[in-house]
Amino acid sequence: MNEPSAVVQVRDLVKEHGQGESRVRAVDEVDLDVPEGQMLAVMGPSGCGKSTLLHLMGGLERPSGGEVWLAGQRIDHLSERALARMRRRSVGFIFQAFHLVEELSAAENVELPALLAGRSARHARRRAGVLLERVGLSARARHLPSQLSGGQRQRVAIARALANEPLVILADEPTGNLDSTATIEVLRIFEELRSAGQTLVIVTHDERVAATSDRLVSMRDGMFVDDTRLAGAHPRGLGGLIGLEG
Amino acid sequence: MGSIVLVVRLALADVRRHPSQVAMLLFAVTTATATLALGLSLGGTSRTLYEQTRAATAGPDVVALVGDSGPAVTAAMTELADDPDVVAHHGPYRIAYTDLTTRDAKASPVVVHGFAETPGALNRPLVTSGQWVRPGGTVIERGFATALGVGVGDRVTIAGRPYPVVGIAVTAATSVYPWAAQIGPGGGASDYTGLAWMTRSDTRDLASSHDLSVTTALDLKLRDPAATEAFREAHRGSGLRVNFHSWQFKAEQDAVILRGTQPILVLGSWLLSFLAIAGVAALAAGRAVRQTRRAGLLKAVGATPGLIAAVLLTEYLAVALLADVLGLVIARLTVPVIASPTASRIGDIGGPTGAVIATTTVLAVAVAVLSALRPTLRALRTATVAALADTAHQPRRRPWLTALSAMLPTPFLLGLRLTARRPGRMVLQACSTATTLIALTGLLSLSTDTSRGYGLNGSTALPNLRAENSGHLLIAVSALLITLAVVNIIAFTWTTAMEARPSLAIARALGATPGQVSAGLSIAQLLPCLPGAVIGIPLGIGVFSAISPRNAVLAPFSSMLLAALATLLVTAALTALPAHLAARRPVVPVLSTDAA
Repeated sequence: MNEPSAVVQVRDLVKEHGQGESRVRAVDEVDLDVPEGQMLAVMGPSGCGKSTLLHLMGGLERPSGGEVWLAGQRIDHLSERALARMRRRSVGFIFQAFHLVEELSAAENVELPALLAGRSARHARRRAGVLLERVGLSARARHLPSQLSGGQRQRVAIARALANEPLVILADEPTGNLDSTATIEVLRIFEELRSAGQTLVIVTHDERVAATSDRLVSMRDGMFVDDTRLAGAHPRGLGGLIGLEG
Repeated sequence: MGSIVLVVRLALADVRRHPSQVAMLLFAVTTATATLALGLSLGGTSRTLYEQTRAATAGPDVVALVGDSGPAVTAAMTELADDPDVVAHHGPYRIAYTDLTTRDAKASPVVVHGFAETPGALNRPLVTSGQWVRPGGTVIERGFATALGVGVGDRVTIAGRPYPVVGIAVTAATSVYPWAAQIGPGGGASDYTGLAWMTRSDTRDLASSHDLSVTTALDLKLRDPAATEAFREAHRGSGLRVNFHSWQFKAEQDAVILRGTQPILVLGSWLLSFLAIAGVAALAAGRAVRQTRRAGLLKAVGATPGLIAAVLLTEYLAVALLADVLGLVIARLTVPVIASPTASRIGDIGGPTGAVIATTTVLAVAVAVLSALRPTLRALRTATVAALADTAHQPRRRPWLTALSAMLPTPFLLGLRLTARRPGRMVLQACSTATTLIALTGLLSLSTDTSRGYGLNGSTALPNLRAENSGHLLIAVSALLITLAVVNIIAFTWTTAMEARPSLAIARALGATPGQVSAGLSIAQLLPCLPGAVIGIPLGIGVFSAISPRNAVLAPFSSMLLAALATLLVTAALTALPAHLAARRPVVPVLSTDAA
């Protein structure tokens, strides 16, 4: 059986912060291939370079050295404009702090990427309706982020990340601000996405998130120290992860 | 004492952290207070200068003028001089009407006063350079000489005959240049006219050889200098038509030359104050989140609301009061130039009065308080935890605008949503644009103004000083208004960009290009400018009509429309740089609240 083609590839990736003696290597000559449909978890202590790696893969930051490839296209040397177009077409971001636009309703937040991609208002509205239903928030479509719980906000953020049917979803500590119940809700959605063949890269501190992944990469001081293929979803399901048999 | 030290220390630290905002507040309040102080100070300056000149030249209380000469006139003048209310007199003397031409061909109507070679006790012109009249020479009134550009030693041609200028002098017996004629030939109307003195015999020869119109004048000093009106009433209706010009009338006529000046300055100062409030308030709003967090920190360590308000307001008040002092100093230095455009008067105007100082200080404090009040109140009202967590302020939600913007291209979508976040600022921005249009309407109308010059037959070889003085001030005030409006546009754009940084970072992460974000920021500034430009033109017409003489000519409407269009284009250009810089700031620091 052939190995699925890599959606994301990084080669000798380096990211340095600061100058002179205060220069720090946040990412230190990292190589990584993320095949299509894989759910990859990146773990490591705070400050080890996990989020920086995610930002480099999504074109939010430029590397100091090395290469980043997305769907066969090298992106590390693209202009800001080209990177923006690449992000709207191929990448969906999920952040720990949700980063929803506070004055927009849940539905309007989910519509935003489609509108930025030049889709019609009708298409964006219809797509937002489908996605909010998928994350179980149809009834909350008109609510503002401030009227939603943390878990609901993160589910809106996931719906927003899916708006343009991205090749890869990059999630930075998606459960970092959530309680256990909300974490389970989010993990359930991730599992559904994984089952549907969505490629996901998740930076996390949470063992439960890592346990549901296909692969776990551990980072320390900007380097990969371990790369483990997992069996996929926890054998006893999400309930088993928190001691509740599902 | 400890509280005061804390307040001062925190205010100083804030000044060091935000020097550009302090500079803007300083500039805005200084221009506003200087302009207001100038406008208010002009009220009494003409009178002050007239009275000082009158004291220095033994100015008469009344000048009696008859547009003729001969025995009957002499008899009437003698009768006036013998009136029991008259304690001293000078004259009668001849006033001859003719023309004066300089070596560089500047020509003007002139009245020649025939005076004794030794000045008397009353109406004793003060020679400011050269010497008093001697046979064959002429002394030119200082305001007239300045306009002509002549000095002692130059030669001028009066009624076709050359005379050396032997002196320059001032007098309070006539109004300032160009109103030296008092009455025209035969007692009729007079044109803009300068004043020259000659000896009695030279004046008599000049008048007789050229058959010039002559008026006979008599300077009178009354027992009661204030009773000039009663004296005039007492001598009304005698056989000859005698014109009485009192010292009060001359003092009032002196002020005519400044009549267009004061409204420009006072109105200009209010417009500058408004722009100052709008600009500084925008910058203060941009710092509101940080100020609220700062207030939260102070609350957390036990600061009272009063102390927090003092910390937040002290910086603004201190800078505004410093700007007030600077404005008053600038006004003190500038007022002599503006108050005496003709050089016909001497004396010292003195510093701003207590009332002027109080008014400008109230203005400065008002600008500071109005600019900082809202962020201060918000900081005080926000709960400590919310303030520390930076969740205090939610932008306004406008569902219909959000829905409308969804149908527009990305830059308009972003621009409209940014505009909708802060409706109050949108109003300020529209008013700022309207103010710019008011200034531009004035400037354009100024360029079409064709005021009659002071030269011969209205020639502009000698410019109309009144229009010129008003014009220079209009240009200066308009330049300040436009400068402040430009600074405001940049401040508005930068503040909008800083406030919307999280939203714009999200948009960038979701695929908005830097160009789209930059264009969105510019559009957010341009949208409120459109209604501002539309209302600015009629407002400008109204303001210009209110402060201009009746015969003033308004600029063509097409020019005003072009000015409005140019304002919008310049606004777009000015917003481009801050928008470009803001759109290219890295998004990761904004998005990475918990960097791994």
